Amino acid sequence: MTTAIASAYPASVAASAPVTDTAPIHIAAHGIAVEFSLNGRRQRVLHDINLSVPKGSFVSLIGPSGCGKSTLLKVMAGLVQPVEGTVTVAGLAPQEAARRRMIGLVFQDATLLPWKNAVENAAFLLMTGNTNVKRADAMARAAEMLRLVGLEGANDKMPSQLSGGMRQRVAIARALALDPEVLLMDEPFGALDAITREEMSQCLLDIWERTGKTIVLVTHSIDESVFLSREVHVMGTGPARIIETLPITLPHPRTEESFADPAFTRAEARLRSLLIESHRTRGTGK
Amino acid sequence: MSTPYLAANESAEPARSWLADAGRGLSAILPPLALLIATLVLWEIAIRLFKVPTFVLPAPSAIVASLIESRAALLVAAKATAIEVLFGFVLAGVVGVAVALVIVRFERFGRALYPLVVLFQTVPKVALAPIFILWFGYDLAPKILLIVVIAFFPVAIDMLAGLQSVEPSFVALMRSVGASKTEILRRVRIPHSLPHLMAGLKVAITFSVIGAIVGEFAGASAGLGYVIQFASTQLDTPLVFAALVVVSVLGLVFYYLVELAERLLVPWAPKFDLMHRS
Ligand SMILES: Nc1ncnc2c1ncn2[C@@H]1O[C@H](COP(=O)(O)OP(=O)(O)OP(=O)(O)O)[C@@H](O)[C@H]1O
Ligand SMILES: [Mg+2]
Repeated sequence: MTTAIASAYPASVAASAPVTDTAPIHIAAHGIAVEFSLNGRRQRVLHDINLSVPKGSFVSLIGPSGCGKSTLLKVMAGLVQPVEGTVTVAGLAPQEAARRRMIGLVFQDATLLPWKNAVENAAFLLMTGNTNVKRADAMARAAEMLRLVGLEGANDKMPSQLSGGMRQRVAIARALALDPEVLLMDEPFGALDAITREEMSQCLLDIWERTGKTIVLVTHSIDESVFLSREVHVMGTGPARIIETLPITLPHPRTEESFADPAFTRAEARLRSLLIESHRTRGTGK
Repeated sequence: MSTPYLAANESAEPARSWLADAGRGLSAILPPLALLIATLVLWEIAIRLFKVPTFVLPAPSAIVASLIESRAALLVAAKATAIEVLFGFVLAGVVGVAVALVIVRFERFGRALYPLVVLFQTVPKVALAPIFILWFGYDLAPKILLIVVIAFFPVAIDMLAGLQSVEPSFVALMRSVGASKTEILRRVRIPHSLPHLMAGLKVAITFSVIGAIVGEFAGASAGLGYVIQFASTQLDTPLVFAALVVVSVLGLVFYYLVELAERLLVPWAPKFDLMHRS
């Protein structure tokens, strides 16, 4: 495993971050259905979900609370088995892809181990399972990733000494340390204040541009989804499905000024009306 | 892996110097101490005022006198009781931890074992004391056994809660990269459960003292429980109270030893500190 970030992510990737439309499909979901049994009754949470994410793309899932965004993300991570349909990540079943460390996961809570410091936390998954990664290598790699997420100098800090935003950066570093091809993030900034959120968005964008990873982000923030993504999938309930896939034409590189771009305003307005609509259908039920 | 804990924990509260800490400790101790002294003084006055016979309720001064007079015998008795508490407590800890680990690691067996453990807990353990005496005689063994059956439960229950309260998303994270159940148990569940275990041990140590005294009541030739029983048959009430004072001190010392261990072993544990609650 390489520890030098410069060699892992050559500058050429950084320069040409946005993928071309001819990029191969990296995550493919066809006709996904998921059921949970609730008090003995089977309840269909996802129904006939189709989704394809090109390699190196950044897509967001947005939709009303409880529509099944997290569940869809878990299906892609191999943590939930669909009752119908197929999912592949880089052509593999998600569980196999995860075992090969091709999937990095970040949740709303950083879920750091309180008895380990930042760099040990970031290295933890790297040293988990059947790996032959040496401890020293894992720690070096984790330290590199902490630098990448802007946490240099915090290696020895315990989670209790870190702010919410810093903890979430450690969680992102932990996912990146696996050098996954795909980063699946479930409301990673949901518990942070507005300004920290924006900082983290910028940080995530930088990481994406430098590493060229495929990123799927679940979020409740319309701004965040437009600012970060190349594509936003809007989900609706009754039954859960993707009601629209909106390409975001906002030019790269994206900065503070992007918020004032007409393309931003247009996409935001469109997403807002779609979300209002999906909330309304949720109210009337199936 | 081990060294950063202490260093990190110290720097977490840089404003709290050693001196300030001592000052805060003192200001925390003063109010209860004042209340205790006031109570003792009132007690003394009331006994003298109403001329209560000593064998009914001795004055604090009589208890102190008895403490001094019988200090040698009390020390011997305290040592006997302390040994019972120590062995019983350690064994109760081992049994409690083992029960919790078995329940978590072997889920199927655990589902059978857990209700039985709870059922056993509803048996009044004090009633077992005579049986243990019958089986094992008047020596150390029946007392230790009694302490174990009384004190293992809080350890098992708290440890179990700790093992099971790991965030599901973290377990999912580990499973996704191919971690086995054993690896998750060893590297995440067990360390995560340590603060809970320490909380259980703090309850267990106080139960252990109770267990030792009850065991000595049921049949013994040494220990503070034996002194209490013997003294009460002689109507030597001051000695009964003197022995009670020693029991309390013993319990307090043991309790704070466990708390000290907690601070050293699991400094990341949340502090349940009534005194310093801000
Ligand atoms: N393990 C489970 N067992 C039973 N039902 C579940 C389970 N997980 C999720 N559900 C149900 O599935 C539905 C979708 O949940 P999910 O968490 O995917 O929604 P979400 O879109 O992520 O919501 P939010 O935006 O609030 O996070 C909900 O109705 C939820 O109650
Ligand atoms: Mg969710």
